[in-house]
Amino acid sequence: MTVEIEFDSSWQDEFLQRIHQDGPWGNWELVRLAIEVEKHLVIPEFEGLQAPKHLPNLTPLPHQLETAKQVIENMNGKAILADEVGLGKTIEAGLILKEYMIRGLVKKVLILVPASLVTQWSMELNSKFYIPAVSQKKSYVWEQCDVVVSSIDTAKRNPHRDIIFRQNYDLIIIDEAHKLKNNKTKNYEFVQNLKKKFCLLLTATPIQNRIEEIFNLVSLLKPGHLGSQTAFYEKYKKDSRSLNDNEHLKELVNKVMVRNRRADTGIEWTKRHVETIPIDFSDTERELYETIYNLKNESDWIQGSSFSVMTLQREACSSREAVYYTLRNMLQKKENPTQAFKDQIESLMKKVEAVQTNSKAKKALELIQQINDKVIIFTEYRATQLFLQWFLKQHGITSVPFRGGFKRGKKDWMRELFQKRAQVLIATEAGGEGINLQFCHHIINFDLPWNPMRLEQRIGRVHRLGQEQDVKIYNFAIKNTVEEHILKLLYEKIDLFEKVIGELDDILTKLEFGNMEDHLIDIFGASSSEGEMRIKMENLSSMIEFAQSMKKGETHAAAGNS
Amino acid sequence: MQQQEIHNFLLKYFQANDCPILENHSGYMTVQLTIEMDKELMNRPFYWHYLEKTGGIPNPAKLTLITDPNSVPEDIKGEIIHFGSPRLHQIFASTKNLARYIRLYENHENGSRKTPLLPWLCLNVKISYQCDRKRDVFKSIGLQLINGQMVENFHERLLNISLTPKIPDYSFTLSPLVKPKSGILRIENYLKSSIYQDDHSWAEEARKRWEKDLRLLEHFYEDIEEGNEAYETEKKALQEQYEPKIKISFINGGLFYLTEKAIV
Repeated sequence: MTVEIEFDSSWQDEFLQRIHQDGPWGNWELVRLAIEVEKHLVIPEFEGLQAPKHLPNLTPLPHQLETAKQVIENMNGKAILADEVGLGKTIEAGLILKEYMIRGLVKKVLILVPASLVTQWSMELNSKFYIPAVSQKKSYVWEQCDVVVSSIDTAKRNPHRDIIFRQNYDLIIIDEAHKLKNNKTKNYEFVQNLKKKFCLLLTATPIQNRIEEIFNLVSLLKPGHLGSQTAFYEKYKKDSRSLNDNEHLKELVNKVMVRNRRADTGIEWTKRHVETIPIDFSDTERELYETIYNLKNESDWIQGSSFSVMTLQREACSSREAVYYTLRNMLQKKENPTQAFKDQIESLMKKVEAVQTNSKAKKALELIQQINDKVIIFTEYRATQLFLQWFLKQHGITSVPFRGGFKRGKKDWMRELFQKRAQVLIATEAGGEGINLQFCHHIINFDLPWNPMRLEQRIGRVHRLGQEQDVKIYNFAIKNTVEEHILKLLYEKIDLFEKVIGELDDILTKLEFGNMEDHLIDIFGASSSEGEMRIKMENLSSMIEFAQSMKKGETHAAAGNS
Repeated sequence: MQQQEIHNFLLKYFQANDCPILENHSGYMTVQLTIEMDKELMNRPFYWHYLEKTGGIPNPAKLTLITDPNSVPEDIKGEIIHFGSPRLHQIFASTKNLARYIRLYENHENGSRKTPLLPWLCLNVKISYQCDRKRDVFKSIGLQLINGQMVENFHERLLNISLTPKIPDYSFTLSPLVKPKSGILRIENYLKSSIYQDDHSWAEEARKRWEKDLRLLEHFYEDIEEGNEAYETEKKALQEQYEPKIKISFINGGLFYLTEKAIV
């Protein structure tokens, strides 16, 4: 067997020239050091992982190391990483990327992720893996930087598209790859045409999908692995629901896919305890709420936007400050406001001023004093956040604010302050990976987001790998308000709070019924009677329940490592 | 590399490049960079460009490197260096870059006796075996340029010999019969023929994997008439992924003039 041998001749030309010119010659100490270095960098074995040696500050979990090894040694660097949510797919991808870079097999890398995750990906690669990843902002980045993170929507458009196709990528990583299930989309076509020497597709929900979607995803990674399109559909029914019917197909898919399940990782997860705390409005608060509620019927003054009324209603359940802030904005943003509009706002402002207490805040204070430990309060509103900070301070309780918009350094600083100095962290945004608050295990949901995923993210900050205590979640809800409806009819009914991380993700993806928030706005805003609203809510929660029961049936049958 | 080894390596690197070590404690060190080393490591070409244009007083940076964060006093600020840190790899690259070519003479103790020194060509190379995976071997080969004697592990042997950049008194060099250029060729051929005798089952297996994926690919595109471009791209990708290759690359090398007894 002959293998082509490349002999680097660039060295000798300069060497001969230096002989000719009698120098300059290097320093013996440096020559010896260079060889010492080289001996440390030489990797004598094809097998095994070098990356952990380079990452002293990262302690990968056993299943993450195993996955990286598996992908490199048995899957030849082309794989679908399909761990359940929360098991660290990003870490696995980072390990694989790092390993290839250390071994000199990969230099040029393209990482395509949802737009909201671009910064986070590049920060994590830089801080955790010392990989100089750059978020694509200017078009020269494609050519000048080796590791580029971008959203697929940017990448697929010209002029970027043409530049990308001219690059010679060694590794392509695609996060949230389940969005590429339809082979008729522009995104699919774009990724299909990329040259994929090594390729990682990351997804949390590949398998509950239809067989057609699996075919598309696998064919993107490794065309022909599941046969040609015609041959495939001759063999398997196109709309067959899942892989379960077919052992052979399942086996094939598992050759290109790693799916770690929470149960298999042997990681112990602590429990969640949920307590709903019903709260009564004071009279003035109630009056403010009712006034806003009744606006729905005289809708012309805000152009019938049920959204605004709904927002005000929700804000009224949070704090008078939140309502005030929105009202002021409405007045300022309105071009040429009519006198009636101004009067309306004016009268609402009066009602706001009449409110002198915040029943929820009082309850929160009581609870915090009773817990006598670290507490995170989540609220949807900036104004509430500011108010709470002030309010707690009045009562001698230290708190720090936290917002998604904080710069990285500030986030870390606030986390540090919370851990070491303050009792309470008041957060408006759960988003943004990387702030891990496992040292705390009490959460107060001062108000509730309407998107269950956001709620899951809130809890996920605390209930994650490394949490040693059971997590206590307190949900505040004002009696007889929209808030109570949401809590009772939706969240409690589907046991949302008790779910294990990730389950909800699966359920919502499978439902494919679009944005949860839109449904809720429709239900609360457009229902003409209490009865209609109740029925619509029932429908929504039954759908979720249905998806849930289907999932239970599939858990063991899905093509994972069962 | 252990942290202590890294610490020692850094010390040697800065000393070899004439940078004064301002502080050296177990756990951290502070070095004063020279102008050259500031340009080499600090990546601030605009500063140096500006300074040279305006004729300002150069102020090369001081660098504090921490090799054991646990034993460093709290008021010391610096870069934490470990085996994976980008700064260390920058210094690795710089080390190799600054020391690509060398010429040295044996610092013998023959006193005033006239001593002939024999020319040796030394090449330090890395051989990489690469397919979708990769492994490397370090080799140091010495070739005597008069009688053509070839010696492996040449660098290790040199470490036991006292060497100097200036030819010692009363010494003279013998001119090579083998020209350096053909010396390099001889070493190249020697390396290649020893590589041919290696076990290449790794390459065979890579070719099998390649072949297999190629067959799948062809099957996939069988019934697609157009779209040949995608097929060609995928085919190229498979070649880049699997094709076995062996690369011989240089770390450094040079000429060594040694006494007859130095290498036995």
